[in-house]
Amino acid sequence: MIAEMREALQAALGGEITEPVLLAGGASKEAWAVDVDGEPLLVRRAAGSVIHRHTLSLENEFAVLQAAHAAGVKVPKPLQYISDLAGREAFVMERLDGETIGRRVVRQAELAGARERLPVQMADELAKIHAIPVARVPFLHEARLERMVEELDEVGEPHPAIELGLWWLRENRPPPREPVVVHGDYRIGNLVVGDAGLVGVLDWEFAHLDDPVRDLAFALVRAWRFGVPERRLGGVGPVEPYVERYNALTGLQVTPDELDYWELAGNVGWAIGCLTQMQRHLSGQDRSVELAILGRLGVEVEYEIVNLLERLAT
Amino acid sequence: MSERPTAQELTEAILEFLGGEILPTLDDHRLRFRTLVAMNALSIVHRELAALPVEEDAEQRELARAIRAGDVPPGTLRRVKADVEARLRVASPAFLDGYR
Repeated sequence: MIAEMREALQAALGGEITEPVLLAGGASKEAWAVDVDGEPLLVRRAAGSVIHRHTLSLENEFAVLQAAHAAGVKVPKPLQYISDLAGREAFVMERLDGETIGRRVVRQAELAGARERLPVQMADELAKIHAIPVARVPFLHEARLERMVEELDEVGEPHPAIELGLWWLRENRPPPREPVVVHGDYRIGNLVVGDAGLVGVLDWEFAHLDDPVRDLAFALVRAWRFGVPERRLGGVGPVEPYVERYNALTGLQVTPDELDYWELAGNVGWAIGCLTQMQRHLSGQDRSVELAILGRLGVEVEYEIVNLLERLAT
Repeated sequence: MSERPTAQELTEAILEFLGGEILPTLDDHRLRFRTLVAMNALSIVHRELAALPVEEDAEQRELARAIRAGDVPPGTLRRVKADVEARLRVASPAFLDGYR
């Protein structure tokens, strides 16, 4: 498999190429590290399994990455889309140096300085993302909140806590904001972090058009605080400097109530996400203990939902 | 209350993982043998679970349906929270203890 990849990359990229190394990664995409003429590159390639619904094709993800790069967002430089790399589609981008493992980003002593800078830096990048012209990425669709209900129904298991969250979201919806280009999975774990803070924004496969505050609040979801829940912004710091900076840059006046609303929505979305991941295992699409156990660990997210609802009720 | 994956579905996933991903990597004869014994033990648990009656989740289904229909009387949140806590005590007790 490695020899085949090396040959295919050689044919596509030319130059002096090192042996490609398959990195640990998701079930739907492969990531290969390879150096070409001394340049560290990362190859993102489709994996064998069926592509997850509601995610972008690699071709469109590459186009979003190009648009983000053109808009000045800190991202790995997009280099080339390859429609057939040893039989599957792929794209090549710069390989950034830094930490992506969430647990390390929130805990590692050496990254304490980075954590101080991250709230403002995360707001800077998000403001740039939300300013990407929609015309640049015309294939992006708007995601409605109702889609979460459809996804829950596809799983077909009763989850009263998730229903209660969805009910509250229906009853208390803030006035909708003009949809913008959103990252869709903007949180610690999808950011490359170095000593000086944010180095790059990764994983654009969930990009779509949506309420900007939904994107802003996703990094607050407890599951993405990686075991440091008292730091509400992704386990790295306080929310206030993040939102103040975002408001100053965008001119939007995001209120604390709106943030609470979309934080709850983020939790409801991830609780359902755990179930759809489990379903990939149960249906035989991707057999994996990791996916299976998410079906049970989703109850952690349900517990957060009921606690948030308690706080919202007072 | 039934939970997915069920205990039986979880043992099945672990058996597949051990047999498909771990066993082929083991060169040490003793480790291979002990892994096969562990898989055999887990297969016993798997079959024992198959013999248990299927748990009824009609109550949860009814509650979920009512909330979807907007029927959320006072006390609903308290009831749902108690159910979630009970499930959490099985699935992730350390998370519950550490929640603040």
